[in-house]
Amino acid sequence: MILTPAARRQRRRTGIAHRFRTRGRRTGRRGISIAVNLAPMIDVTFLLLIFFLVTTTFERAEGLLSSEMPGTMMAPTVALPLSPIVVRLTPGDNGIGSVTIRIDRIDTPPADFEELVAYLGELHGKPGFDEDTPVVIVAHSDVQWDHVVGAWNAVLRAGCTRVAFGEP
Amino acid sequence: MRIGRDRYSGPATLAFNATPMVDIIFMLTIFFMLVSRFSSAEQIAMQLPKPDESKARVEKIRERVIVNCRLENPNDPTNSAVLYSIGPNRPEPLDVLADRFVAMKRETPGMKVVVRADRRLPYGPVREVMRVIAGSGVEVLNVVAHVAEVE
Repeated sequence: MILTPAARRQRRRTGIAHRFRTRGRRTGRRGISIAVNLAPMIDVTFLLLIFFLVTTTFERAEGLLSSEMPGTMMAPTVALPLSPIVVRLTPGDNGIGSVTIRIDRIDTPPADFEELVAYLGELHGKPGFDEDTPVVIVAHSDVQWDHVVGAWNAVLRAGCTRVAFGEP
Repeated sequence: MRIGRDRYSGPATLAFNATPMVDIIFMLTIFFMLVSRFSSAEQIAMQLPKPDESKARVEKIRERVIVNCRLENPNDPTNSAVLYSIGPNRPEPLDVLADRFVAMKRETPGMKVVVRADRRLPYGPVREVMRVIAGSGVEVLNVVAHVAEVE
């Protein structure tokens, strides 16, 4: 704010000092301007922004699925229940990446992992089966790892708590 | 001729109002600071399994060893060899990894092993590394998969 000499004299007479001016200078006997220099902070903020813009990649988070190891599951010292549910995965007939799912002692195989979830859910309601019944996943060597994890995830989705891997 | 208020106003100045820009930059900086998560160097980039409605949970395991199983040539997954490495280390053969696991298990009995395997790998090579891990005395297998998307 720029004042005319007459206005300045008037302010001095009336005791009004304009304390805040846009420039960091003394403004006479009564007022001292207070100005925060924002430039370094904005510089640092710019650097941080550019850093995060360059380094950030948006990806789905990674999580863990836990199971018993194949060796320990098949070890003779482990007492297995008489009727574990065995889910078998074999390469499908539809080329690379396809998979066939079978459940031991069940005639109609599930077509996909959604059906596997439904089958296992039905089994839980039958005598001799519950959520603690172990489920053993037995996969062929040529089945894609993605399908093995898909079967594992389907078993967990069906509410089974004990999942293990078996040897084919 | 001088007219009214312009008499003492001096030369015209061209001022750039940076306040809205600074506001937005602050907002963006805070946003990126909140959403950024720094991935560990142990987590080598690869295509992880993406099960439907994933039950994988985000867990922090302290005494963990990450085993990366990835394709040597990701562009040719059917013919590519499989590389095994502990964390960010260089790839090693399975028998060397077996010795390392035994030594680590002896040193840290509570050690947990996390297997990160490319989703396009056949199960055979992953089963081999699982056998090696089981042979070292580790009883629980932790496998990495993508977590479910937040709706």
